[in-house]
Amino acid sequence: MRARDLAEDYPLVQLTDDAMTAARLIAEQRRPGVVVVDDENHPVTVLPGSQVLRFIVPGYVQEDPSLARVYDERGGAEACVNKLEGRMVKELLPPKEKRHEIPKVSGDATVIECAATMARLHSPLLLVTDDDTIHGVVTASHLLEVILSTSGTNP
Amino acid sequence: MTVSQILSVLVFVGAYILIATERVHRVAAALGGAGLMLALGLTNGETAFHSLDAGVDWNVVFLLLGMMIIVGVIKQTGLFEFLAIAAAKRAKGKPFAVLAMFVVITAVASAALDNVTTVLLIAPVTFLVCDRLGLNPIPFLIAEVMASNIGGAATLIGDPPNIIIASRSGLTFNDFLVHMGPFVVVMMAVFVLVCRWLFRSAFHYDEKRVAEVMALSEREAIRNKTLLVQSMIVLALVLVGFVLHSALHVEPSVVALLGAGLLVLISKVTTEEAIEDVEWETLVFFMGLFVMVGALVNTGVIGQVSKALADAVGGQPLLAVMALLVISAVLSAIVDNIPYVATMSPIVSDLVDAQGGGPQAESLWWSLALGADLGGNATAVGASANVVVLGLAARNGTPISFWQFTRYGLVVAGLSVLLAAPYLWLRYFLFA
Repeated sequence: MRARDLAEDYPLVQLTDDAMTAARLIAEQRRPGVVVVDDENHPVTVLPGSQVLRFIVPGYVQEDPSLARVYDERGGAEACVNKLEGRMVKELLPPKEKRHEIPKVSGDATVIECAATMARLHSPLLLVTDDDTIHGVVTASHLLEVILSTSGTNP
Repeated sequence: MTVSQILSVLVFVGAYILIATERVHRVAAALGGAGLMLALGLTNGETAFHSLDAGVDWNVVFLLLGMMIIVGVIKQTGLFEFLAIAAAKRAKGKPFAVLAMFVVITAVASAALDNVTTVLLIAPVTFLVCDRLGLNPIPFLIAEVMASNIGGAATLIGDPPNIIIASRSGLTFNDFLVHMGPFVVVMMAVFVLVCRWLFRSAFHYDEKRVAEVMALSEREAIRNKTLLVQSMIVLALVLVGFVLHSALHVEPSVVALLGAGLLVLISKVTTEEAIEDVEWETLVFFMGLFVMVGALVNTGVIGQVSKALADAVGGQPLLAVMALLVISAVLSAIVDNIPYVATMSPIVSDLVDAQGGGPQAESLWWSLALGADLGGNATAVGASANVVVLGLAARNGTPISFWQFTRYGLVVAGLSVLLAAPYLWLRYFLFA
């Protein structure tokens, strides 16, 4: 099986899209992240859900576990959501110098090649592209499903 | 001057310039200077490591180490977050009342913990409360760091310069409480009032947002009640140990190390967690400084400077005290007060001896401590805690510029000196 056989359709968001839209795409369909593309639909990076959380949870709360506990549930949620208002997707991304390379493989990459790339880049999503044409995305859960079933250990 | 004296001054001044201008890391500058002093034969291993007067002051190093370990464990309990949020709720979210409470908590904590740790603990809660109230956190942060510098002046362990002074002078924990404490209490009361005026534009708020502060649950901040109880018992024992150290003939460093060891022993904190917050860089910086200053003592430079100063102020002890206060405040505003006090301590020690060593002569130590501790408030780089707060504010997206800090700092530091001068005069001269 090759990467192009594993690739699924996946929503793309542009750098200038509303950050709230990207967060909703992740939240409503419980996706691990979304693929970010530029104006010409060339992939820029993968925006994992954890990066969205990193943006919306105040830095001082991330660094002080005791403070994270003092919020009431509603107040905490409101504080986080407020940070997304009026923001664009590009503002959610880490600074360029801190970004990993784009997690992508060509269409004929093997299953283990896909797994190795995702493991190396700690990415929950893998882009399958050839010459900047996006075939789709491989998710970590789908990839694990394939690996387990191939080995005879059905999930 | 002899060749060795000239060389030692050159090495010292070179290292000092590097430290002050931050051209190289301050640890590298201090260690480089110490290495050069040793390599040039201006001091030797025996003197540098074993001399009480001209070597590394291990009392200072181990006192800092012990307290850093204790503070590192206390940090994990969430006590500070609990106190600050409870205070904000008690203040019913009213900005000035919140600021006053945070400032007082910071000052009291700074008297028992080091200033940098205290501001690292109070700043995150400040961001949270200000976020909830829709307030600008900058005035709060500036007021807190100044309060930590003022509060730290009250005790032997509150500020590193005090630790150096105590070790070099033989003054006890109680001496600091009795001589510095009353002034710090008055200064804090004045400071809170001054904050009302200095930051008057920062206290406008939306009353509807108070509910967001009142909804915070401070009890949830306490993550480990057992560790909290253990830490408080050990901290109380350590403070009692400090109070009794002169009667028990035990050095403060021994008290701190015993406390740190006991806390690690009785709690489930691992050794790695306990030493995680030890600032090794600071400890090594101190060692390098002590070797450099020791070389100046060893070559006789300090003795000559002391003699010249004693001759200059001979018969005018009040002039010496006032001059030391003002010079210490000004220099501590410009350069780190730790190397300044490390350098001045042997000089002040000689001056105190030259004046006969009575209470009036000892006021030189209080003058040095007040000037160095409070002068650090004048500029954004005057004290380590100031630099740390500027970094935290920038990371939070609310940067504080050098001049933004300094324009408030100059007022507070100037006021501190204006209050300290009559205090020293009244207590050690007029009513002596």
